[in-house]
Amino acid sequence: MKKYRKDILSEQVRPKDDLSPEPAYEFDPLPELIKDSATGLHSSRRDFLKLCGYSFALAALSSCRSKISKAIPYVIAPNEITPGDALYYSSSYVNGSDYCSIIVKTRDGRPIKIEGNPRSSMTRGGTNARVQASVLDLYDMERFKEPISNGVPVSWDEADGEITARLKKISYDHGSIVLLTPTVYSPSTEAVITDFIEKFPGTAWVRYDAVSYSAMLEANLISFGRQVIPRFHFDKADVIVSSGADFLGTWLSPVEFTKQFSSRRDPEGSMNYLIQYEAGLSVTGCTADKRIQIRPSQEYALLLNIYREVVKLTEGRESNAPSSPADVRDIAVKLTSSPGRSLVISGSNVKDIQLLVNEINRYLGNIGTTIDFSRYMRTHEAIDSGMADLVSRMNAGDVDALIFWNVNPAYTWYDRDAFTKGLKKVGIAISLSGSPDETSSLVQYICPDNHYLESWNDAEPEKDLFSLMQPVISPLFNTRQMADTLLKWSGSAISYYDFIRSYWAVNMLPRQKEYSDPVAFFDHSLQEGVFETVDKNVRPAALLTRPVSHVFDPSLLKTGDDREALFEVVLYEPVAIGEGRQANNPWLHELPDPVTRICWDNYASISGLQAKENSLTEGDLIDIGGLTFPVHIQPGQAYGTLSIALGYGRKVCGMAGNGVGSDAWPFLTMDNGNVSYTRTLGRIGKTGSGYLFAQTQGHHSMEGRALIRETGLNEFKVNPSAGNELHEHYTRHAKSLYKEREYPHHHWGMVIDLSKCTGCGACVIACQAENNVPVVGKEEVQRVHEMHWIRIDRYYSGDDMDPEVGFQPVLCQHCENAPCENVCPVGATNHSGEGLNQMIYNRCFGTRYCNNNCPYKVRRFNWFNYTGAGTLRGNLRDKAGMTGDLRRMVLNPDVTVRSQGVIEKCSFCIQRIQAAKLKAKTEKRALYPGEIRTACSQSCPANAIIFGDLNDKESEMNRLIRSGRNYNLLEELFTKPSVNYLTRIRNRT
Amino acid sequence: MFDPYLAKSLRYILSVILLTGNSLPLLPSDLQEADTVFSRKEFSAEELVRGERLFYGLAYPAEMTVDCEKCHNTKWSDSLNWNPDALEISVKYLNKSGADLQAVLLRPKGKKMAEVHNNFQLTNEDVVLIKAYMDRFVDVGIKKQKPVVTNLLLLIISFVVFSISLTDLIIKRIFRNSRFNLMLLTVSSVVMIWILAAGAIAFGRARDYSPDQPVKFSHYVHAGQNKTDCNYCHYSARSAKSAGIPAGNICLNCHFLVRSGTRSGVTEISKVTGAYDNNEPVKWVRIYRLPDFVFFSHAQHVTAGEIACESCHGDVKTMDRLYQVPDLSMGWCIKCHDTRKVNLTNTYYKTYFSGIYNDFTAGRTDSVMAAVTGGRDCGNCHY
Repeated sequence: MKKYRKDILSEQVRPKDDLSPEPAYEFDPLPELIKDSATGLHSSRRDFLKLCGYSFALAALSSCRSKISKAIPYVIAPNEITPGDALYYSSSYVNGSDYCSIIVKTRDGRPIKIEGNPRSSMTRGGTNARVQASVLDLYDMERFKEPISNGVPVSWDEADGEITARLKKISYDHGSIVLLTPTVYSPSTEAVITDFIEKFPGTAWVRYDAVSYSAMLEANLISFGRQVIPRFHFDKADVIVSSGADFLGTWLSPVEFTKQFSSRRDPEGSMNYLIQYEAGLSVTGCTADKRIQIRPSQEYALLLNIYREVVKLTEGRESNAPSSPADVRDIAVKLTSSPGRSLVISGSNVKDIQLLVNEINRYLGNIGTTIDFSRYMRTHEAIDSGMADLVSRMNAGDVDALIFWNVNPAYTWYDRDAFTKGLKKVGIAISLSGSPDETSSLVQYICPDNHYLESWNDAEPEKDLFSLMQPVISPLFNTRQMADTLLKWSGSAISYYDFIRSYWAVNMLPRQKEYSDPVAFFDHSLQEGVFETVDKNVRPAALLTRPVSHVFDPSLLKTGDDREALFEVVLYEPVAIGEGRQANNPWLHELPDPVTRICWDNYASISGLQAKENSLTEGDLIDIGGLTFPVHIQPGQAYGTLSIALGYGRKVCGMAGNGVGSDAWPFLTMDNGNVSYTRTLGRIGKTGSGYLFAQTQGHHSMEGRALIRETGLNEFKVNPSAGNELHEHYTRHAKSLYKEREYPHHHWGMVIDLSKCTGCGACVIACQAENNVPVVGKEEVQRVHEMHWIRIDRYYSGDDMDPEVGFQPVLCQHCENAPCENVCPVGATNHSGEGLNQMIYNRCFGTRYCNNNCPYKVRRFNWFNYTGAGTLRGNLRDKAGMTGDLRRMVLNPDVTVRSQGVIEKCSFCIQRIQAAKLKAKTEKRALYPGEIRTACSQSCPANAIIFGDLNDKESEMNRLIRSGRNYNLLEELFTKPSVNYLTRIRNRT
Repeated sequence: MFDPYLAKSLRYILSVILLTGNSLPLLPSDLQEADTVFSRKEFSAEELVRGERLFYGLAYPAEMTVDCEKCHNTKWSDSLNWNPDALEISVKYLNKSGADLQAVLLRPKGKKMAEVHNNFQLTNEDVVLIKAYMDRFVDVGIKKQKPVVTNLLLLIISFVVFSISLTDLIIKRIFRNSRFNLMLLTVSSVVMIWILAAGAIAFGRARDYSPDQPVKFSHYVHAGQNKTDCNYCHYSARSAKSAGIPAGNICLNCHFLVRSGTRSGVTEISKVTGAYDNNEPVKWVRIYRLPDFVFFSHAQHVTAGEIACESCHGDVKTMDRLYQVPDLSMGWCIKCHDTRKVNLTNTYYKTYFSGIYNDFTAGRTDSVMAAVTGGRDCGNCHY
């Protein structure tokens, strides 16, 4: 068996024969509450007992039924609302360039959960962590609550009056007004902006995306004559070559791409092959069949070599290329042997690299097959040079009015000093953003936007794929939607809602034949959430088909010997926090990074070899390029590189996000008109001080056992249970002295396909939202008190410096012979007749014996009162503001909010099982196939988690269980889990 | 000392004098006088006593006036009194002038009120004094019954007995017979344990809980006399977790037209219609309430379980004042789950309990209890 280890650190810091105690970290194991020295109090044991007595008395008294509870009905009950029943609305998640078609679950008028919309052909029911967490942003007390003029709250009428007067004057004086937004792909909003520009002549509309794809846009204009990002079809590609593009984690449209990619990860079907060239270990790199470490400076040389090999193989023509950082002959053969069924992508924001990628794809015949320009993406359209021009115009004093919406250049722009300096020269700066950020703290007027769950809108994330957004709650604060504000300023009398309806009646209605009535059409589209049309009459604009013989630019090859000693910093968008828009979201902060398993932080990932050379250990603070970052030793990090996540170190966003992590945006540079996300820096300096990460994986190590079983595709084809030989062995020896349990009616179970799981973390946040899983904060995670019911374990195997990575979601296994059940002294956890390992919170009194006895370590203990459900005041522990009245609105009323002192764990979303069973009973029918889906299974963009009834022998789940790939976690313990895993198949061909 | 006959005759003479004064036509000066009377704020103790006597109908002969307390409670009552109690009236008129009270008192608009408030002979000053007396209810409130203290007394007594006999047994030895001591100890400790255990079991449970509601709503009138189906108002009981407290518009479906009740008159109904007109909900006091960790669904019991409302809520049709019939303890739930038969002809049960269903159709079993189909799984209610 291969050797698995939790992280490289344990090997490096503590050699095997070193029996000295663990290195002591400088953190206090006691919470402030217990420390008397801080308050100057001295309490004796007697005082403690007295307090105990009082608190018992108080607890007993507070549980008396002294409070009269009221039952307050509606005055006029809305037709659709039944108290206690959920209502679902189709909508769209739009946050900058992030898009997802969603279904919002509301209970009693408040949205509590986001689910994927399976009707969308783009996202196909998938979601990701950010989408799942967005519902919490709605209940953010720190959003702007009303319009603000120079720091003073004003009414909308006052703000509108003052602003329109000034804008009119500027427009009359032929001044310049600039509207700065991210890429806007809502057709109606575009129309509103066009109206606004007509009303205020001289208005310029600048689009700026903090995470930019402008090099790709510019390259496509040169290569194909179209400045768009095409639609990628990962499902049609047999061979995928990705150079630094984390398309399963963050690149362009990760939910869509994960859906596509995972549909081809079925070893029984035709499995695709993914090779990833990258510096830092990304989610895509972990999932890749082959991963090769390269430094960003080597990317150009690598792609040139692929280009040369491809040209040689397709045309037999030799071309010029420098020496390659990796052997690319094999991959070139693979690429050319599947013409039109391969895909080469690059995550670089350098135009020449993207041009080269375009040429390779053209030679491979991928244009029109896996790369589709007829239905291009509209979510990324901003060109960096536009923003650069704006900043220089601002500094020249050419901008009289600047209107921001949903952009934060004072934080994300590479030259933020120039931007802030320029902003001071702007006559009037107005922010339309809904929540505080670094930029809006510098403006005169703030006219806050609604949250997207309070807004009407439409979107066109891909050409001819339309999507509607509808409000599921009235605005919580005195805010107004950005488009409504612009309509008002342009003097329009109609609301944006009416605007959208009339826009759809005029522009969308003629695109279909089913409905002739605009109202019926709009209502139908709204219910579906999406409206897709392929107008066959309109041919896509012709692409340039003439192959541009690529001119090789030697200046891009930074491989000089003198640079070997330098560090290349790779700045990447982290999976959870992204570019920092949702930085005040504690759920996202507490989601451990899929690869490093660190939460509430960013850090500089460094290769183990280099750490040794520089005598750095985990958590050492280093000084690089004038900024300070803690070091994280990352297996698989390319030598000579440092990977640092963007999106952290926000200063103005709210209680949960302020000052979390460090700001890495100042590392960005401008290179040939595009923002560069890599940078070469001098030596790193040690500051001498250390830092403790809140890392979750080390605490849950299941080292040395066959946890993730994996095999190659070829081996699998010969023997379907390859790599899973142990399963047969254990099943044969599994004999019980006791009578087997019987589950005659239902037996709930789950299958997790390790070949499909990408470790993205959508399930973790979905579970957190569904099951009221508390946020504990960084210090509590450091004390191993994290509460997630489902975690994704990450294991490295093979070479320390270049490991293979496996992900394994672990949740309560609902064992038939559950070790936890036997040890509970009060029977608070026991087995149901439907195969569920039940956890009864009101019975639990917190011995934690079950936690101790669980071999999977999936039980969680409420050390403190994290959600405000407790009765003892001093036990409230709320570092992220999750117990405020507004934040608590996100809690699911169908799940008990646990108080301190009780154990909790995955329940297989029993509230969903109960609801579905009840529905079937009241409708006097059997359950539909796939009617019950747990939150994790519903949210998974890779379809890696399947939930169902093990008694239903016809189901897809049972077919997978009968396959040779099926095994249980720690099956040697004979716990007989209801959760099954499928061996991971790597395509090593 | 006090001669009732003398008092009665004096009262009569007084009333004759006042009557003549009252029957004179009103002059402008009288109106002026009325204004000054109604705007009075300060009252002497004697005047307040007179107000009290007027309220209890003692100031005038019985045929000229009535005892207000007969209809308008001054004490808490566990039976439903349709008429507003003294507190309610005093709260309503606290910030209004005596003229408003007089208008309602002497020239009532409602049919039922007009029948009772008949032949009242009260002067402006009388009305003002009655109001002055009634204002005290705002501070004093309606006196509630004192809680029964027998159990607490018994507990204290047995504790004292216990301590004395224990002390005696160990130290003093007054009683020569230690067996007597031991007997005392046993009896007192049994009593104490019994009281404490009974108290602990009843802790947090509220059988017979019957709070005052903001509107004197009678289930007897609605479900009993008028035979309204439970599901008309509690319409979500069949389909949702919550049976639902009817919204204002449901009440108004009928009370848009029905503005006066045979027993209640207009007062109570006008509270509902008034709240609706002011776009305010009626803030009912919740009676049946389960802890937060219990997930109970009406749909499961009413539709899937085919249980009649009365099985749990008692004979609501006869209740003027609704009260909690069961104690809502888990034992009560489980007892029913153990004894309640499941309708196996439901396709859901037919599909998933095919073994039991086949036994049932073949006559091998005659019934299946809810406990067999998952009614005893903890996770069915606690999650």
